[in-house]
Amino acid sequence: MPESIVKNYYDNLKNGKLVGAKCKKCDGYTFPPTTACEHCGSMELEHKQFSGKGQLLFVTHGVAPPPNPRFFDLAPYAYGHVQLEEGIFVQGIITGIDIDPDNLQKLFEKGPMPVTQDIIEVEELPILAFKLV
Amino acid sequence: MEGKFSEPVYILGSGCTRFGNLLETPEIKNLTLQELAAQAVKEALADAKTSPDEIDAFIIGNVTMQTSNLPATYSQLSKWIGMEMKAGVHIDAGCSTTNAGAAIAATSIASGVYKKVLVVGIESTLSRPYKLSPYERETIPTEEMWLWTDYCINQAYSVPQGYDIFPVYNGIVALGYCRKYGYSIEEFDRCMFELCKTRRMHASMNKKAINQERLEDEAKRMGFNDPYEFWKSPYNPYLAWPSRLRSAVVPADGASAMILSCKEGADEYDGMPIELKGFGISVGDLPWYAGDSTVQTYDVHSFKKAYDMAGIKPEDIDYLHVHDCSHITSVCVAELSGYLPEGKGIEYAKEGRLRFDGDRPMSTHGGRHAFGHAWAASAGSDTYEAMKQMRGIAGQRQIKSAPEICVLHTHGYGMISTVLVLKGGK
Repeated sequence: MPESIVKNYYDNLKNGKLVGAKCKKCDGYTFPPTTACEHCGSMELEHKQFSGKGQLLFVTHGVAPPPNPRFFDLAPYAYGHVQLEEGIFVQGIITGIDIDPDNLQKLFEKGPMPVTQDIIEVEELPILAFKLV
Repeated sequence: MEGKFSEPVYILGSGCTRFGNLLETPEIKNLTLQELAAQAVKEALADAKTSPDEIDAFIIGNVTMQTSNLPATYSQLSKWIGMEMKAGVHIDAGCSTTNAGAAIAATSIASGVYKKVLVVGIESTLSRPYKLSPYERETIPTEEMWLWTDYCINQAYSVPQGYDIFPVYNGIVALGYCRKYGYSIEEFDRCMFELCKTRRMHASMNKKAINQERLEDEAKRMGFNDPYEFWKSPYNPYLAWPSRLRSAVVPADGASAMILSCKEGADEYDGMPIELKGFGISVGDLPWYAGDSTVQTYDVHSFKKAYDMAGIKPEDIDYLHVHDCSHITSVCVAELSGYLPEGKGIEYAKEGRLRFDGDRPMSTHGGRHAFGHAWAASAGSDTYEAMKQMRGIAGQRQIKSAPEICVLHTHGYGMISTVLVLKGGK
């Protein structure tokens, strides 16, 4: 029976692991994982676990009510642009941040800040979020 | 890949409805989407001096099927626009639909398969059929419209994990721009205010725009003598700090159409045919940028392809339209295109240089904020405006020296970056 890459991603997330793919041909990383390398298109991939650590480059916020009803109770939430220490870029919810403009301004002025994964569960789905270290 | 047309291709005519609300706006009120599409097609055929029986094929697009109930527009619209028994296909390239359609039509014409092709885009973003009624519609909540629109976005990972267009396409881009070029948030806000003023001023001179009220007049109506105080007031909240409501898309209902032709059709046409000199298309999935949020890489590819195919350089461009449902992203794309200098775009906006009477005119129909945005129909509205400018018939908002080379860029959610190079003149 074939395995779903998508289901495996969320199963791993539930266990606290960020698992993507590494290309056997070009060594490039694809995260989250798909069926092809996002750098060279090769479909010869292997699992690659990521550290979950990185730098928060920018943080702002979204709207309420949110487009996706899953996040109705959470919105409006902080949302950021993160570079993982493996070099790849990920966007996601940033937990523990006050989205008041004055606070966001202070965070912007600080520049990139270290973050680590903070996997949260929203309506029974594990979500990759980040928190400031 | 040769990357060139084997024969020249022209746009002979275009049509566009007023962008507005099917439940409220006088020019389109109570129309069904079939009738809305027909309004745009009728105008395009008249502009092209072409009868339906001269059309060989048609390409028709719609994005949010949940508001149209029209997944098979090729057959469902065929009787309404005189296209039965023609070759027809439904396409969806998000907000790039009609420009992607124009590129497909152009390649089929340049290959010699067809002589004339009709391209149509229709969209309702504000209402949906009421209880499956054939003609009654009901308003939809904004968040529901975005839920359906976000079906264009990564459904495996991004949307289920909290994706929201406003931080991704507005806030993070704005912060990237400010950090990269050293602007303060206050300077950024002031420039966005001035850019909004320009777009709203353009739309105030366009009877087809959804919002024809100048920003200054809106401020006064709301009790503010200083429009910048209005800009910073709770009436203009942050959608994604530091980007505000009036720097973003205004959803609309609307339809657009254009007729593309081979050289023979252009030779017979007694108006000004507009040559489609080249196009570039490039797609990408999220994240749309790496460490520099001002650069979306697919745009680099689509502009290069289009410029190479058309044989032009950025300095040849007389008028640029870029997808502007986020004003800061539109500035970034205009800089990437070479039309505006890097890091200076928001200053150009502040100085009024992007106005129709400035030296770098952009979005003279009012753009996605003031002309409105009807997803699949919007790219056609840009072509419609560019053709009017090139032909010198844009009325009050006419660029003084009618542009000869126009470049039109769209971001189709999310993303298909599409660039068309048009050439007017004699």
